[in-house]
Amino acid sequence: MTIQQAIFILLALVILGSAIFVVTTRNLFRAALMMMLTFFGVAGLFVLLEIGLFAVAQVLIYIGAISILIIFAVMLTRGMQGMVPRNSQATAAAVVAGIIFFVLLLLFGPLRTTVDVARWPVISLIAGNASPRDVGGIQWTPAGQPIPPVPETYIADFGRALVDLNQYLLPFLLIAFLVDVVLAGAIFVARQRRPAEVIEDRQRQAEEAAEEAEAMRQAGMKPDAAALPEGAVASTADH
Amino acid sequence: MRTDFAFVGVMLVTAALLMGVALVAAALLRPKKPNKAKLETYECGMETVGDTWVQFRVQYYILALVFVLFDIEAILLFPIAVAFNSLTFFAVANAILFIVVLLIALLYAWRKGALDWE
Amino acid sequence: MNFINDLLKIIGDFIAGIIQSILGFSPFLADLVTMGLAAVILCTFAALSFMGLTYVERKVVARIQDRVGPNQAGPFGLLQPIADGIKMFTKEDTTPATADRWVYNLAPLVIAIFALTTYAVLPFAPGVVGTNLNVGVFYIIAIGSGSIVAIIMAGWGSNNKYALLGAFRTVAQLVGYEVPMLLNVLPVVMLTGSMSLIDIVNRQTTLDGNPGIPFIVFFPLSALIFLISGIAETARSPFDLLEAESEIVAGFHVEYSGMKFALFFLGEYVNALAVAFVFSTLFLGGYAGPILPPYVWLLLKAAAVFFVFMWLRGTLPRIRVDQMHNMNWKFFVPVSILHLVVVMALMKLFVTSPAAAQANGGILVTPIVQAAILFTASALVLIGSLAIAARRARIMRLQEEALVAQRRAENIAAVSA
Repeated sequence: MTIQQAIFILLALVILGSAIFVVTTRNLFRAALMMMLTFFGVAGLFVLLEIGLFAVAQVLIYIGAISILIIFAVMLTRGMQGMVPRNSQATAAAVVAGIIFFVLLLLFGPLRTTVDVARWPVISLIAGNASPRDVGGIQWTPAGQPIPPVPETYIADFGRALVDLNQYLLPFLLIAFLVDVVLAGAIFVARQRRPAEVIEDRQRQAEEAAEEAEAMRQAGMKPDAAALPEGAVASTADH
Repeated sequence: MRTDFAFVGVMLVTAALLMGVALVAAALLRPKKPNKAKLETYECGMETVGDTWVQFRVQYYILALVFVLFDIEAILLFPIAVAFNSLTFFAVANAILFIVVLLIALLYAWRKGALDWE
Repeated sequence: MNFINDLLKIIGDFIAGIIQSILGFSPFLADLVTMGLAAVILCTFAALSFMGLTYVERKVVARIQDRVGPNQAGPFGLLQPIADGIKMFTKEDTTPATADRWVYNLAPLVIAIFALTTYAVLPFAPGVVGTNLNVGVFYIIAIGSGSIVAIIMAGWGSNNKYALLGAFRTVAQLVGYEVPMLLNVLPVVMLTGSMSLIDIVNRQTTLDGNPGIPFIVFFPLSALIFLISGIAETARSPFDLLEAESEIVAGFHVEYSGMKFALFFLGEYVNALAVAFVFSTLFLGGYAGPILPPYVWLLLKAAAVFFVFMWLRGTLPRIRVDQMHNMNWKFFVPVSILHLVVVMALMKLFVTSPAAAQANGGILVTPIVQAAILFTASALVLIGSLAIAARRARIMRLQEEALVAQRRAENIAAVSA
């Protein structure tokens, strides 16, 4: 066993263990923390694959951003601490996960050389009309041959490919638009009133209160102290 | 690459060991006389009321989302920055287009008041 | 000149040789032991500088505020860090009965580990670096998200309202200020064409080892925003909203005492020092400098940056939460993006290497002319955006004052009527 294999097994154990903890624990917060550990283990796998850029991006995006987002979302829910979260869709989710795992196994796993893509319409749908050896445009290294090393300049190559018209320019720009749409949707769902609107509201309240006081004065009653422009007082105190 | 990152792994383990030793040493050295009052949650002289799980404002979530947006932007821009010297004008123009599209998202969020913190 | 540097390398090779030959280890184990030794040295350096910095900072801030600072333990209070250390080790440490024990106890460990791991990529002198990652800058910012995780763990694990509120505030601040940090590292990476910190230092050094043009001349705006975001990232004053005593007691570490609190403290200082080192490396030319050995230059530059941190701490009042968020999202981020676009366009128009000029077009200029152009553009963006922001702020303030005056008049009228 080489040292890479040992590290891989260690990382796999960490990933699997923490992933199982995530789906079995009743404590949502601990589940989120354990998911961070899973992501960290995946970052370790990227290091083993010699793509440090993705390892670091994994830590930055998945641990530093997505997990934080999930924790914020968890904290937005109320009273989850007391109750026991239940999921009625657990069985369906397990079945779907199993199917996806099986498809991945066919695409990338040890079974892949035995799969005749023409007989598997699902796979040819996903991977296109590719031969079993290069599914999805990936050049597979035949078993038993050493994997070619990642070139030293892979970061610059990746960068060039992102803005190259013949490679990934379209997906690259689509990401920007997709992210725009996501943000617009989130803002629409979680919209808060703008401060200007709040100020307008308070102004209106103050005006109404003043009018009320005016009406009471004209009716010959002494204005009640509590009914005086309370909104106006509060709004001046606030700002 | 792997060997470059090996030191990071060693550093993680070493730091964990050193700090763990410090914690254990402190645990052995310090007195341990807990009583009920000491173990209470810190409050302003009273017993703490209600759940710690107070409802947070949705603002936090929106800010985290805007942050994810710009994190993704930065991550995609870093490889382009590394390749910058060999890029053509066309490629750089597209990168700028990418940035401008995200800037529009920021301005939209700004206009909608998602960035206000009151 | 590079005597100390060479000496360190010789000693390092010597130790590696001893381990390999006399102890009869395999090369792999020898590598592992050497790396372990280097890691121990780096961690010890960070921990010792933490102890020293607490003393220096207290003295400097005291001087700025016309106080004396620690002066009881030893001459000039020099033994104060040791006294503090003894206290931290022997102080009773309670865990709240309602705390989530695992999360609560792991949080200080996590923050300290990630803070120390930052030092793995810092180049201290030519050839003296933990490891030369080709994603170095990126790594430093990514490893900073470890402290975010630790803060959330501490806030939630304590099971205390103040702690949780403080943690959320801090996290919102830390994630927010990561964006301008990333955006302002980008121009540096573009000019260098690499994310490795060593390449970045080499780019600021001439071929014969003399200091070249530091990047602060190319991108003054990036340097300024990076520095301020760095202060916010390490949650130091004036961005220490997390420990606003009047509002949320001490923030996320309110339940911590003794050694666990010390680890949070260590994480904070080690991170702040790391920001000082990274700023020196990215924008001030790193270890490059004449006459003095490289270590001394780097330490001098980092010390100068850290002095700015202490100076700000001694003079500025804490800013409000809304001010902190507005400054980031409505000033730093848009201005950084604008600056990035301008710099990208200019760096493509004016190139220094003949090969690039031939391949992709662009006007060939000398490095000094390029620096002058970029400096002018960067400074113009900075001054222009500051002017716009100042004008906007004045208009907003006048509007608010007018509104308040109007309300007051209405109130008086209503009451007197």
